[in-house]
Amino acid sequence: MTLLEAKSDERLRIIDIMAGRQLRQSLAHLGIEIGSLIQVSRSAPLSGPLIIKYNESETAIGRGIASKIVVERVR
Amino acid sequence: MKIAVVGTPNVGKSCIYNAVAGYKSMSSNFGGTTVRYEQSTVRVNGMVAELVDFPGCYSLVGTDEISLELGEYLLTQSVDVVINVVDASHLDRSLPLTLELLELGHPMVLALNMIDEAHAKGIEVDSEILADFLRVPVIDTIASRNVGIPELFQQVRNIYSKHRASEKRHIVTYSNEVESALQSLTREIVTSCPQCRMSSRFMAVKLLEGETELLQRVPGIHLNGIKQKVDVLRNNLMVNNNRPDTFMISERNVLARHIASSVTTQLETPPHWRERLDNVLLHPQWGYVILGLTLVAVFYFVFGVGAYLETPLLNLFHLLEELLLSKFSAQSITYTILNGALSGISGGIAIVLPYLVPFFLVLGFLEDVGYLPRVAFLMDTFMHKIGLHGTAIMPAIIGYGCTVPALFATRILPDKRDKILASVIATLVPCSARSVVIFGLVAFYLGAPAAIGIYILNIVVIVIAGKAMSALMPSLSPGMIMEMPPYRLPSLDTIVKKSWLRIREFVVIAWPLLIAGSVVLALAQYFHWVHWFNDVLSPLTIVLGLPAVLGTTLIFGVLRKELSLIMLVQAIGTTEVLTVLSAGQILTFTIFVTFYIPCLATLAVLYNELGLRWTLTVTGMTFGIATLLGVLTHLIFGGGIL
Repeated sequence: MTLLEAKSDERLRIIDIMAGRQLRQSLAHLGIEIGSLIQVSRSAPLSGPLIIKYNESETAIGRGIASKIVVERVR
Repeated sequence: MKIAVVGTPNVGKSCIYNAVAGYKSMSSNFGGTTVRYEQSTVRVNGMVAELVDFPGCYSLVGTDEISLELGEYLLTQSVDVVINVVDASHLDRSLPLTLELLELGHPMVLALNMIDEAHAKGIEVDSEILADFLRVPVIDTIASRNVGIPELFQQVRNIYSKHRASEKRHIVTYSNEVESALQSLTREIVTSCPQCRMSSRFMAVKLLEGETELLQRVPGIHLNGIKQKVDVLRNNLMVNNNRPDTFMISERNVLARHIASSVTTQLETPPHWRERLDNVLLHPQWGYVILGLTLVAVFYFVFGVGAYLETPLLNLFHLLEELLLSKFSAQSITYTILNGALSGISGGIAIVLPYLVPFFLVLGFLEDVGYLPRVAFLMDTFMHKIGLHGTAIMPAIIGYGCTVPALFATRILPDKRDKILASVIATLVPCSARSVVIFGLVAFYLGAPAAIGIYILNIVVIVIAGKAMSALMPSLSPGMIMEMPPYRLPSLDTIVKKSWLRIREFVVIAWPLLIAGSVVLALAQYFHWVHWFNDVLSPLTIVLGLPAVLGTTLIFGVLRKELSLIMLVQAIGTTEVLTVLSAGQILTFTIFVTFYIPCLATLAVLYNELGLRWTLTVTGMTFGIATLLGVLTHLIFGGGIL
């Protein structure tokens, strides 16, 4: 599933980022890459961006980008 | 000696730079404030040095313009010592950049900053072990309170005098396949460009990451041979990798996390007040209520302080005017010159500064406390309606202070189209100089609701302009990626000094211009020259229903927007504006001034950032909008309805 379908506070692992080099690298520089463990901590109303939480960091990500991040649930 | 200050966003680089450079650079709690670089000559511990402050970025030669510029600078300029500022409370996020810097091979000192914040979070960092890992000196600092800064620069001095030649430090050892590719590429670069001074290993790292654009920025390198070699090596590495494009970044991130966890001890679990604050400030409904209340509070604070000070100050200058009149004949040229100068001075002190000072203090507070990125998050959906992302609201908000830094701030947007759109919007946002006109004329004479009305009208116009432009330039950019910094209690000292820096720009650049302008206008009236300007502009003043004498003030307004207000006082010859102008005319004048041609400084930066075509487009567009709105205001309010 994509990050958009994930529920708030579910533990997730990124399994793919379906994007070009620049976007993959910009995300990797922030520590968001394939294999990262993340959580969606909140989302803005009216299809606004999501805030994802990982390693004590929080980053806001637009829905367009979130739809390119493929995740799986981690128990 | 040349010292470069480098670090990721929100680690307090500018604080360190400010501590020694005397507040020439601004610091704030969100990325992209220091656009381009600030440079100043400083005297630290008895030595003279060139200090260069860079914008915060996550990587050297990365995917955005800022990191490209930084990488290019470090590769091509002779930097003697690099001060790398890292956030002690968030070491794993700061260290990837450190690892890249180490590849460059410059002598380096690490400033382990914000140790107070780390302590508050229950984090202890062992700087000795960290220094052993990185093989560079590490100094604990709290830049906002000047703690550790002298020691930091002492260390810079030591390292500079000890070994000028860079010492080879391969801290990052990549996996075997990457290492062998790197080594063969490094050899290729050395043979291709033997005279190049830059680190060939760093070049090799960046080329393998795919930053081939870098080659065009380094002079004297043989492009074609290397580019082919890079493509072959990259393809080989990508085929078997489950993280194409990012495998090297990932390896650095892993090493950074390893180092961070080896040197830090988490003493107790951190308090969750940040999350609780976000629960309220980013709440789907309350977040917007608080945002709205904040904006209204800012408005009333600025207006309240301004209006409270304006009246007594104006009265004071009335007394001075009467004093002048008692000493000189009203017909003499001496009186004309002195009175012109006096109205320039009083304009600055009584009309501009009372609003400018509180505005900059509030803006500085909101920046440092970390609220602006939250505003960007809340407003992302709204910004989509005008074809942009939430990140683009930062230039717009800064634009309420001054359009020039707002235009520089558009550099945080990676996409050219977004940058153009955000720049146009930034020029439409009423800057503090235009706010001075709105406050000083409309709010002061017609009341606060009328002034708020102008701001709302402005937002409506921005939305329409944004929609129209994004229809002409469809969006292709992916969306917002923005790290949310922690909330910080800003230090009063930093806010005051930052505000002073912004105010100083008015005092030293605009004010003399304003006083000189007032004198010129007074003389022009004395010798009856003004009517020429006024005649040339009469078609405009006629359609706007304004007295012809205001023609000149509109010309001065292009120099600096607040000049048009002070020139208005000079042109009509009294501060009792309501005796000469009707309410409708005040409204028309203000709306026209708010929207028409941006000031000279803005035009210069626009030309620099976007080129001639866009500068002319923006000039034409704003003039068109201003005339249209001015005429409409005149038709609605000028005909005696008000």
